[in-house]
Amino acid sequence: MEHSLFSKPRDLFLDIVNPRDYVQIDSVSHMYQSLKNSVQKPLKMILLYGRPGTGKSMLLHKLHHDLSKHQKVLMVSTPIVDEDDFLRVIAQNIFGHSPREVMTLNRFLEISSALSLRDTPIVLLDEAQLYTPSLMEKIRLISDARAIKFVITLHKTDKEDIIAKEHFQTRIWESIELQNASAEELKIYVQKKLLKANCFDVANMFNDKNMKLVAALTKGNYRETNKLLFSLFSLYCWYEENHPSRIQYNAIKPKWIEMAAIHTGLIHA
Amino acid sequence: MLDIKRLERRWLKYKIKSFLPYFITLFAVLSVLIGISLWFNTEKPADHNRTDTQKTIVSPTAEPLPPVAMSDHNKTVLEPSMEFVQAFQNQSVTSEPETKLPPVALPAPAVNKPVRPIPAPPKTLHMPEYTPPPEAPAGLRAVPTVSRTVTNDKSLSINRNESKLDIEDLQRRFKETSNANLGLFIARYYYDHGDYNEAYNYALKTNNVNNRIDESWILFSKSLVKLGKTDQAKKTLQLYISQSNSDAARGLLDAIEKGNFK
Repeated sequence: MEHSLFSKPRDLFLDIVNPRDYVQIDSVSHMYQSLKNSVQKPLKMILLYGRPGTGKSMLLHKLHHDLSKHQKVLMVSTPIVDEDDFLRVIAQNIFGHSPREVMTLNRFLEISSALSLRDTPIVLLDEAQLYTPSLMEKIRLISDARAIKFVITLHKTDKEDIIAKEHFQTRIWESIELQNASAEELKIYVQKKLLKANCFDVANMFNDKNMKLVAALTKGNYRETNKLLFSLFSLYCWYEENHPSRIQYNAIKPKWIEMAAIHTGLIHA
Repeated sequence: MLDIKRLERRWLKYKIKSFLPYFITLFAVLSVLIGISLWFNTEKPADHNRTDTQKTIVSPTAEPLPPVAMSDHNKTVLEPSMEFVQAFQNQSVTSEPETKLPPVALPAPAVNKPVRPIPAPPKTLHMPEYTPPPEAPAGLRAVPTVSRTVTNDKSLSINRNESKLDIEDLQRRFKETSNANLGLFIARYYYDHGDYNEAYNYALKTNNVNNRIDESWILFSKSLVKLGKTDQAKKTLQLYISQSNSDAARGLLDAIEKGNFK
């Protein structure tokens, strides 16, 4: 099974956020460029939002990967809900200072002004909708004081729209919305990912009809696409081991795409 | 991890479920059509039945006894039946001139002749109402063809997509690795994007690397056709078929010869 033609493509679509796996698509790279430009501007806070699975986390990780070569950047992938812990982690990672006493906002700002770094450090906050309103308020105050520049990602749901309104709309800065991929973009995403890993023969198996079906099932959601293709290639691995004669090596079987969709819950059967 | 048997069963269930609305619609349409045709059929037989009943009633007139038995239940029924008898008599008389058979049996009804002839057959004149439509669509058909060409044009313009693969990078990698699958991928990319010259080049390069890939030969021949070199494409396909006996290549050759692929 490990030597299967499909095991490598299967592992490519594991849902792991790794900036090295970042696939450049025109619309996303345009977003990324504008995000990078925004970071260079003297803005206090940048908001990156969109529906789940539109690639926000990946973009944030990519930004961290690229910026960390030149300046101080801290990536907070998992939200730190406790206010004291949050300020302490930032102080330690950005300013290299971890006081024993309780970390208050004032103390944090004091440390920041005492160090007065040449470039404003950047903190990237993923899943910011999980932070409490009071902590969001502190984040806003820190950014207002220009102690730290924040780039935050939010899921675009009704509830989170309220957070966005309360904390960001009046003091913006910059906001970038990520959209789901179109069928054409999804095709490029899948093919680029396969070609990057030298899976040429598997890349050749995908035709427009296959990709339209994948796009229709996942609605252009990158995470769902990864999940679907992971199950699809798992199916192929199984068939390759148990019924190799049933595999057509010149095209992907729509039936198996649908079976993978049933397995991942995209189709309720 | 994957229970394929169960997954296949669920897929089958899903397929049946997804096709069910179509089956129901088809069934409904068919039953409506059958209903309509039955309705039309029953309309005509109703007339026939009438004449049949008339005929059956006529025979009792020769023997007047059975109607008396009926009158026990409903007298009103008897009166119209008498009319029918007269009508039938008229009918039988009117039929006389056509057949010119023994007029001896019924001499009296001669008076009733003009009263009600048998206009029943003209009912068949209703049928022609359904025939006129075939001529009209001929004029109308011209319009959809025009709109179709317009939509085709639109779809062509939509096909121009800004999103691109890093084709230069792939070309560079093909140069380095000479991987036939990558060559085929590039050829297919160019063919899909209408760049038949490049598609031809890369299919040719792929064939040089590996001359046993069906699709590559097909892409090569298709590109030749698109470049206006149909004869060369045919020769290539014939040569390839003689070596590989490929069904796909044969299919393409047939399509080119019949003019289905241009």
